Amino acid sequence: MIKYTIKRLAQSLVTVAIVATIVFLLMRMLPTDYFFTEDQLMKLTPEQKTEQLEAAGLLDPMGEQLLRFYGQTIRLDFGQSRRIQSGVPVIRVIGDKFGISLRLGCIALIISLIVGVVLGIIQTLNKDHILDHVGTAYTIFVNAVPSLVSYSLVLVFGSKVLGLPPIYSTRNPGPSSIIPIACLTLASIASYALWTRRYMVDELNKDYIKLARIKGMSSKTIMVKHVFKNAFVPLVQYIPASFLYTISGSLLAERFFSVPGMGPLLTDAITRYDTNVVQTLSIIYASLGIIGVFLGDVLMMLVDPRIKLAGKGGTR
Amino acid sequence: MKKAKKLAAVLLTAALAMGTLAGGGMVSSAEELNELWTFETSNRELENLIILNTEMANDLNVLCNTTEGLLETDSKGQLIPGIASEWGTEDGGLTWTFKLREGVKWVDWQGNEKGDVTAQDWITALEWVMNAKKNGANNTSMPTTLIAGAGDYYNYTKDLSDEEAYALDKTKFLEMVGIEAPDDYTLIYHCVSNAPYFDTVATSACLYPMAQGFIDEVGVENVLSTGIEGLWYNGPYTLTEFVQGNTKTLTKNPLYWDTEAKLFDNVVIRIIEDTTRGYELYDAGELDHTDLSEATLRQIYDDEGHKYHDQLVEKMPRKYSYQMKFNYSKMKDDGTPDDNWNKAVANENFRKSIYYGLNLVPYLARTNFINPLHCENNAYTMKGLLYFSDGTEYTARVAEKLGLPESDGENPRRYDPDLAAECKAKAMEELEAQGVTFPIQIDYYIIAGAQNALDSATVLKQIFEEGLGSDYVTLNIDTYVSSQTQEVIDPQLQSFVINGWGADYGDIQNYLGQETLGEDTAYYSMNYTNINDATDETLLATWQEYTDMVNAANAIVDDLDARYDAYADAEAYMLEHAMTIPMSLEVAWQLTKVNDYTRSNAMYGIQNYMYKNWDTSVDAYTTEQYAEFAEEYNK
Repeated sequence: MIKYTIKRLAQSLVTVAIVATIVFLLMRMLPTDYFFTEDQLMKLTPEQKTEQLEAAGLLDPMGEQLLRFYGQTIRLDFGQSRRIQSGVPVIRVIGDKFGISLRLGCIALIISLIVGVVLGIIQTLNKDHILDHVGTAYTIFVNAVPSLVSYSLVLVFGSKVLGLPPIYSTRNPGPSSIIPIACLTLASIASYALWTRRYMVDELNKDYIKLARIKGMSSKTIMVKHVFKNAFVPLVQYIPASFLYTISGSLLAERFFSVPGMGPLLTDAITRYDTNVVQTLSIIYASLGIIGVFLGDVLMMLVDPRIKLAGKGGTR
Repeated sequence: MKKAKKLAAVLLTAALAMGTLAGGGMVSSAEELNELWTFETSNRELENLIILNTEMANDLNVLCNTTEGLLETDSKGQLIPGIASEWGTEDGGLTWTFKLREGVKWVDWQGNEKGDVTAQDWITALEWVMNAKKNGANNTSMPTTLIAGAGDYYNYTKDLSDEEAYALDKTKFLEMVGIEAPDDYTLIYHCVSNAPYFDTVATSACLYPMAQGFIDEVGVENVLSTGIEGLWYNGPYTLTEFVQGNTKTLTKNPLYWDTEAKLFDNVVIRIIEDTTRGYELYDAGELDHTDLSEATLRQIYDDEGHKYHDQLVEKMPRKYSYQMKFNYSKMKDDGTPDDNWNKAVANENFRKSIYYGLNLVPYLARTNFINPLHCENNAYTMKGLLYFSDGTEYTARVAEKLGLPESDGENPRRYDPDLAAECKAKAMEELEAQGVTFPIQIDYYIIAGAQNALDSATVLKQIFEEGLGSDYVTLNIDTYVSSQTQEVIDPQLQSFVINGWGADYGDIQNYLGQETLGEDTAYYSMNYTNINDATDETLLATWQEYTDMVNAANAIVDDLDARYDAYADAEAYMLEHAMTIPMSLEVAWQLTKVNDYTRSNAMYGIQNYMYKNWDTSVDAYTTEQYAEFAEEYNK
């Protein structure tokens, strides 16, 4: 296990370095006009533009810029934001948003997991009956309807009928989080229900279940001890990553409800040519992805001891 | 000194304000808002907390409340005293003296006193702006152009190391730059040349103050990264909350110098996705005003029983004058000159046929379908920028010189189909002789995927073809992916662009100077019209005549009326020759509890979002009330 962890860690570092380098180079390949706002493009003289680019170090040779970037990253110096919050250290910009996305995302994930899995179980227990059809209809509806439409429906219901705040407010974070969290759970509930049902139905059709039934094992025991436990193994793999991804926030929901979280940060930073923020977020997201997969593997192994990560031919 | 004149203006303004307040009692609600809840869309979030370091409206709309400059602008756009109680020039704008009021305080974000505001704060600030290493070339253009030695100081600091530039005190700066403070409450600027409009620059961010005490407290290298808790404030509000992407709260400064000013206890600025969300929040009682999307506006306007139908009110025009700017040196996609277009646009009759032949009402209705002619624009300069001493508004004088008829309430004032047909016939004859083929292809670019832009362009295409005939011109709607500048303007692919200009300072030069021939500072000539690359001698002679007229007006520094009149001559000449074609103003609709006619309303500077002396009502204003406000305002 230790050997496996060290190997995965080394691979992860290389992967993150490659991702960071690619993002760095892609940002530098953009025309420098993106450095300026349309207003600045209009009113600054070419000399003034050059001076600003020089001051930002963007006219230095690419190799020199890249080495400087590596050096700073190794020292965990991610620089300052240029546009999102001008002059403020990137870590502080991200830190301010991190907690909000994490809080909303984790609440949404816990709700989704509980409701989604329970819904999946109910559908399985009532396969081809009305409750199963209702669950399937919900899943199809959520996946077929564009998110903004379903968000709007939740918004109208929440604000007009229940009287909840229509957007997130720092003065009233509890009640104003309800509608965004509800929207965040919509698709996740459908997803967990869909996969729980699918894996459980698969298990129910397997021979060992039929044998258990013939041997007289009760349906309840079969469902709890065998079907659910085995069906849950593939789902477990994705839970750590899902938790970690809550940090990155939801672009659509956070933008729609003015949640000051991480969701819109990357796209905002790219459109505003805030290179330090883009690079830092890329490193964070790449790391989260890698850690998420690794933890998923470990969790899967813990749930199902038959799975070995480091054995011969067993590594993923 | 012209201080007497300024003092008289101040007294007159005060008297008018008192009169307005008294007269406005008929329609004002007795109960006003104590706290204002307003909004910005997410693409206009505050990015920079240091007012000297930013030129962006989304920053300055907030920061003009936290830092106060020398002068303010009133609801009519006139300069009034700010921290400077008196100001003037005795030598035609070469030297400007500002007398500062005593007792103005710097405070921290919680309103605790930090120090006195003195003339030294403006010296500290200008040194900061012009120090290349401290401020990164932001806000340098106007001081460089206007203040003696400012550009030299910038170049001097540019060659220093960061450490050397950070360590500079003001000794070298005061040796090199034309600014001085004979005492703590007198500030003198020395201009490069006569600048009779220099006082209007005092409302721009580049001439705002910064306290040396603040720099010393946080350290030079930390100034730009200081958060709201570390800033020093001298404006009507302090910034007590800033949650990026969600909320900003401005709280009344308890030590603000103007104790008579009407301020809100708090101004809460919320970030919303778009105007549709703004309407939802307004409807939920969480905003005190909202802009309206076209769909929402139509929904409310068309339903007389709608709860907001009688509360629809028209906004005041934004400060941008939109023009159709021809490209006089157009290229084709393959990089070769588009001779057909270039010959056509060089022909004055061709340009005039467009000038007179477009009935822009459907195009204007895209912005304001209820009163499209309120968006009509017949001048190059923005309406309301300046007034003659007899009160005549500058663009009204231009219209007079152009001989524009009064509006008939249905068609644009310059629309003249008969004259357009006459010009078209002449143009076709002259251009055919030059080998130009018809219909002339006109390439108009819009951003790809923007339905609103496409709808407007389609309307414009119809206007062109109906007004001028498809045998004469064809308007092609082309698209660019993300950057108009890089994809269209730089390779010179457009036949024209429609662009709006808002003034940087209060002089016509700031508008007309963008179109002159052979001058590097003429932004539109250098970047959009490419007139300097044109070869047609008649066209160039027309442009040279215009440039000479502008420069003649620039030279008049001791008589503002004469100066403005000379500019009006140049502008009328520009429009008579259809060198550029005025298109529109932005006049939209809203629901509001704020009387916009009491807000600062300058066509230049940064103060239009200063939340000071605003009349408000806890109940939304009605259409009828706003009509009364407008009538009173326009008297």
